[in-house]
Amino acid sequence: MDIFIFEAAGQYFGFEAKYIYRIADNVIIVPVPLMPACHEGLIYYRGDLFDVIDMGRLMENEVLTLHDDPYIILLKWNAGKMGLIPDRIVGMKWIEDNGGTGTVFNERGDMVKVMTPDGIWKKLAGLAYGT
Amino acid sequence: MELEKYQKIFIQESSKYLDELDTVLIKVENDLQDRQLWGEIHGKIHSVKGMARALSMMDLATFCHAMETWCKWFQEGAKTPNERIVQLFFDGTELLKSFVAGKGEISEPRDLESLRSINEDLAKDPEALLDRAEPEVRPTVAPTKIDRIRVDYDLIESLLARSQEIMLLEKTLPPLTQDQISAGLGNWINHYISMLKGLYFQLAQLRLMPVQDFGDLFVKTIRDLAKSYNRDVKLEIEGGEIEVDIGLMDRLREPFMHLLRNAVAHGIEPSVERENAGKARTGKIVLKAERHGDQLILTVSDDGRGLDRDAISAYLKEKMGMSHDEMRTLSNEKLLNIICRPDFSSAGETTQLAGRGIGMNVIAQAIEYLGGTMKIHSEPSIGTRFIISLPLSLSIIYAVLFRLGEYTLAVPTSNVHAIENENTDASHKVSQFCDLRSLLRTDSKTKVKGHIIRLRHSATSLMPSPEEGGLGIEADAILGNMPLMAIPLGELLAKTGLFAGVGIMENGDIALILDPEKIKAAEGRIDIFD
Repeated sequence: MDIFIFEAAGQYFGFEAKYIYRIADNVIIVPVPLMPACHEGLIYYRGDLFDVIDMGRLMENEVLTLHDDPYIILLKWNAGKMGLIPDRIVGMKWIEDNGGTGTVFNERGDMVKVMTPDGIWKKLAGLAYGT
Repeated sequence: MELEKYQKIFIQESSKYLDELDTVLIKVENDLQDRQLWGEIHGKIHSVKGMARALSMMDLATFCHAMETWCKWFQEGAKTPNERIVQLFFDGTELLKSFVAGKGEISEPRDLESLRSINEDLAKDPEALLDRAEPEVRPTVAPTKIDRIRVDYDLIESLLARSQEIMLLEKTLPPLTQDQISAGLGNWINHYISMLKGLYFQLAQLRLMPVQDFGDLFVKTIRDLAKSYNRDVKLEIEGGEIEVDIGLMDRLREPFMHLLRNAVAHGIEPSVERENAGKARTGKIVLKAERHGDQLILTVSDDGRGLDRDAISAYLKEKMGMSHDEMRTLSNEKLLNIICRPDFSSAGETTQLAGRGIGMNVIAQAIEYLGGTMKIHSEPSIGTRFIISLPLSLSIIYAVLFRLGEYTLAVPTSNVHAIENENTDASHKVSQFCDLRSLLRTDSKTKVKGHIIRLRHSATSLMPSPEEGGLGIEADAILGNMPLMAIPLGELLAKTGLFAGVGIMENGDIALILDPEKIKAAEGRIDIFD
């Protein structure tokens, strides 16, 4: 399967390419109060509302990079949709199908954590919200 | 009014069958002996006949019946069809379209002549048509007025997306000086953008569908379920004219299927049992839609036997170890809500509970995902009601937009009583003042002397009325009263417990729509100014 790889908080992450809807840039992210720090806000893109998540903050809970005009990886899957802000987009890599999760290595031997959108969503849903 | 409603459904459904009929006739023309295709043709004509009969369109029903007789012969292989017969069916289909367009009646001379001619042929043995040297030339059936088309939902989404992208081009317009741009060109650009925004708003409304159409999706299923369970059931739809976002309706399709299935399978009693209990022989399920302020209320009710409280008690005892005394302390609402527990359904299967639990947790989760709530009312032998409140679905609403700190917020205009400049007098006019700035944890450095928005009292409101001072919230700046395309909150935003929806402005910008009731209910955040 094709894996889309990006870097955030000094780590490499990957998603199966089928989940990638678009890579958006030059989009205004609207902040939402009372959301966890990793929730950058909302964007309304092509008729859909996307929660935009800073992957660095989600994975490390700290700001590693300031994003002035970030690329947003828009994901759509059967249960939902969201946008992820990486520190850097690396590219695509073909690997044997491992069921969508696990760890693989890129050409330089870096460890790439392969995730599913559901896994990220569960992590998000477990954070503290509201007053 | 009722008749008009059913006639509209009849026209929509029959037109679909007749369009499909043309396609199947084209297929059968290439394989005249294909009995399965004749079976399909039979089925479609039969469906039109059934609906026509239900609406007492007897001329149409009789004509369908005559065509059906021939279909049956070809389907069973009792007679041999030929091309001329297929043409007769094409002619018959065209005439059926005229019947449907005329709500069961035809009056055009050409149509009447066509009816006479086709009926004359259909009264004969099909073999007689084989012998004829030339096919009879019938008057061309008057083409029906095209007043609606079927459009794929994906196309609407694609059009919306395209128009939104064009609107986004405005943001990429390079800054031009007055020397570089003439006043005429400037006006033209502004007019163009304004027209484009209007177009986008109109396109957005294509996403709305009437609740009636949503309810109609279940009519056939309920009929099939009723037959399977040997029940006599009718579905009634109230408030069918209310239009709701097709995306929201789609998400509710599965949950409602569960609710309606449960109502037929476990709510409505067998006819004999109903008669013995002094009820109407036919059970009734009602799907009712209402709009209360910013809420869409969907109620599914049945006049069946009600929830099986013994089964709920058994669950509480076996699964939760509750004593009868403890159960008695539970409110009716809490007791009934037990059926929404995740493990209730599996217990239902193994302990043969009434079955109301099957899928109920799935329903509750789906409604929660949409930011809604569900209340259950049930009385033994009277029936059960599921009242589902959903926040703003996609629709165009008017809202007062304002800025507070870094946030762009909105409150529905219907909730706004007055807006006043923020000064000592204004803040003392409100009996309750919500420190929205603290509630939303906005940056206090941005605080400016702004406005107080006094919110309106509603019938179901917790808020004090305007006469009592009302609930006041502060705003740094009022952006205006404008239409918003309101869409439901996602799962994450719903967790904040303060918003009713997300509003999209004409220019594609986003505003968060506050729910005044939720603000009021946010405990410990209200300062009383008295």
